Amino acid sequence: MNFNIAVAGNPNCGKTTIFNALTGAKQRVGNWPGVTVEKKSGHYTHSDNIFDVIDLPGTYSLAAFSAEETVVRQYLENDEADVVVNIIDASNLERNLFLTTQLIELGKPLVLVLNMMDMADEKGLQIDVDTLATLLGAPVVPVVGRTGEGIDLLKEKILRVSTEISMKARLIDIRYPRDIEIEIEKLHQLIQKNDVTDKHSRWTSIKLLESDQQTRDEVRLHNNCADILDQAKISINRIEVLFKDTGRATISSARYGFIQGAMRECVVESLIDSVDYSRQIDRVLTNRWLGLPIFGLFMWLMFKLTYDIGSIPMDWIDSGLVALMNFISDLLPNSMFASLLVDGVIGGVGAIAVFLPNIFILFLIIAVLEDSGYMARVAFIMDRVMHNIGLHGKAFIPMIMGFGCNVPAIMGTRILESRRDRILTVLINPFMSCSARLPVYVLVAGAFFPDNAATVIFSMYILGIIAAIGSGKLFSRTILKGMSKPFVLELPPYQRPTLRSLVLHTWERGYLFIQKMGTVILVGSVIIWVLGYFPTEVELDRDYGSERTTLAQYHDSQLADLESKFKKSVDQDRSGYHSEMIVYESSSSYLELHEQFQLLQEELTSEKSKQLYSLRQQEIGDITEQKWIGRVGKIFEPIVRPLGFTWRESVALITGFVAKEIVVSTYGVLFGVGEDVDEGSQGVISGLRSSGMTPLVALSFLVFTLLYTPCLATVAAIKRETGTWAYTFFSIAYSLGLAYSLAFGVAYFGRMFNWLS
Amino acid sequence: MFNFKRPHHKLHTSDENDLRLSDLKPGEKGRIVEIGGSENFRHRLIEMGLTRDAEIWVDKYAPLRDPMELIVKGYHLSLRGMDAQKIAVERIA
Repeated sequence: MNFNIAVAGNPNCGKTTIFNALTGAKQRVGNWPGVTVEKKSGHYTHSDNIFDVIDLPGTYSLAAFSAEETVVRQYLENDEADVVVNIIDASNLERNLFLTTQLIELGKPLVLVLNMMDMADEKGLQIDVDTLATLLGAPVVPVVGRTGEGIDLLKEKILRVSTEISMKARLIDIRYPRDIEIEIEKLHQLIQKNDVTDKHSRWTSIKLLESDQQTRDEVRLHNNCADILDQAKISINRIEVLFKDTGRATISSARYGFIQGAMRECVVESLIDSVDYSRQIDRVLTNRWLGLPIFGLFMWLMFKLTYDIGSIPMDWIDSGLVALMNFISDLLPNSMFASLLVDGVIGGVGAIAVFLPNIFILFLIIAVLEDSGYMARVAFIMDRVMHNIGLHGKAFIPMIMGFGCNVPAIMGTRILESRRDRILTVLINPFMSCSARLPVYVLVAGAFFPDNAATVIFSMYILGIIAAIGSGKLFSRTILKGMSKPFVLELPPYQRPTLRSLVLHTWERGYLFIQKMGTVILVGSVIIWVLGYFPTEVELDRDYGSERTTLAQYHDSQLADLESKFKKSVDQDRSGYHSEMIVYESSSSYLELHEQFQLLQEELTSEKSKQLYSLRQQEIGDITEQKWIGRVGKIFEPIVRPLGFTWRESVALITGFVAKEIVVSTYGVLFGVGEDVDEGSQGVISGLRSSGMTPLVALSFLVFTLLYTPCLATVAAIKRETGTWAYTFFSIAYSLGLAYSLAFGVAYFGRMFNWLS
Repeated sequence: MFNFKRPHHKLHTSDENDLRLSDLKPGEKGRIVEIGGSENFRHRLIEMGLTRDAEIWVDKYAPLRDPMELIVKGYHLSLRGMDAQKIAVERIA
């Protein structure tokens, strides 16, 4: 037989640990249709039955208050699950049972799991499991998810509830105060009489008393709905008069009343044994004075580990890629296919692949922060700052991660619960200056502001932060207004993360990144390659071949001249030489002449190669100008001219769309230095200087590079996390617009006041 | 979803001497008298266990003075000062 099992529970109740313990590593991660809520599924076999398990998002309630709650409620109401497994944090029983009361009312066969029994012990809580099972009318299994203790028993209970009719029967109802019960009964009878719903009719009655919009809409679909809705209105009014609060609040309070009653019967709390370790840890980690410095230290360590450890495998990947490129070039010399593979595919995807180690390490660290419970403290510490931009404290983490790479940062917005916060954070994240932009700053600032390069680069980072904060304030007051949720954040107890869950978390997110490399970035790189490769035959105005010959001949004749002059002087000198002790060739006067000659010869030779090199640069520049990529650059030249840019900047910025560090290698190609330039390359620096760029234009170019549309991978991540093309295109348009306006501002005011010309 | 009314709940006890959760200092304990604010906000808090008469302990304030950390029903919860201001409490020893 095949059974569908749904795992439900509060956030931080150890739900995912139990899910992992049940299903092992055989998991699939996807999204629930229409929303960016992660959907995890897996399966296991027990006594020849297959159990398909769905890990529902963690929720505190079924009120359909958030995207997660809506997902959970729809799934549970739609009868897809045969058994609901409700994970309950035993060390936080009272609040966890609130969801349980709703699951009981929903009427699904239920298995209750008391997780974290060890922590309950630590807290001095003794729970009478049998009494609790009787009171709640469902089997209760105590487990310790971290160690796997009790999982076998849980599988056995799930099997029995799935297969035995007697186990499915709902034994109890949550009892409300008499005055509420009277109203529930009235609605209940009306609903049964009219046969309105196939769901548990008591659940529907209670939901109507809670003024639940979704339930009202469902009832409205039936004939005779008016009677029921009228009765609901009357009942709610009665409850409001009697209890001096809304129906919704009264029923929720009554649920807690029921829970407190149950707790009195089956929980003994001995305060003597109680140790709140988390609170002790928090005395230090969220301390008024130490909290911020420790957080800063953790952030610094996060960067340090990501980049330092990441750079080791980064070098391996890099040399592996170079070896692969050489191998292919040797195998398929000078063919178009070889160029496609080497320059297009490996060059493009490889430029991103070298970041894989950094990204995996970053994800691992974030998984540690999340699983240990520190992430909630980050939100606690930074909320004051992020609240200014209309964001939740947790949004600070993806913002900081953006300094590394916007792609994992944008994927990291999943730690935020509200969709509005996620979208807002995604939209402002690209302004955090990622590490791929640094080579561009170093190159351009180094060429034009050699004395103040560090200041210029630093101000780019600051400008990025200002742009992010400003845009955040703007968006939260305009397009994302009023969707903000109150800040109600649980600070769960600290826990030692399990290796299994760390590996799973890191892999899930890292895999998404690899997928992206295989698709979007691959296609983008091939497109840029095609633009740069075709047309293969170009017509040039100048005959570089003959110019090169003339140049070489001129220099060769100069060299020959020099040599004959040297010989003449030597002959002259020898005739005046008379010593018989030392041969002439060892005399000081000969050595002096020879040294002089060698110096001059070196000078001429280097002058020759310099001029030939510069000619080659001009040729490659000319060729690129004729290629499609150059033509595209020319098309956009009029648009970027007000910023002071030429077709070269336009090409560099277009290719930078694949990945911003490509701006540097594009300049390498345009100035004929080859693609292996790094930011210190003298060829590109002199090329930039001689191309007529002024320091002012350079500054405007830097501003544009910082702010304009993030790279292709980031765009793909934005699409993935916002789930809509609308926000994706908005992000592209907004960042292009902002980049253009600010770069224009720099160029315009700069010219006006004659700065940096 | 916008046709559905979200009235703001005015606190009944609104005289100026009235004590709010945000007025409590770290280490002080209070009992919830009433929660104001939007329906969704009130309901969220009630679901999280901040019911009428629930006891609530102010553990500390964040390093930048906001939000605050509370202990309620045996677990730790954080609220912003502006939200805690909507919760009327009475001080208990």
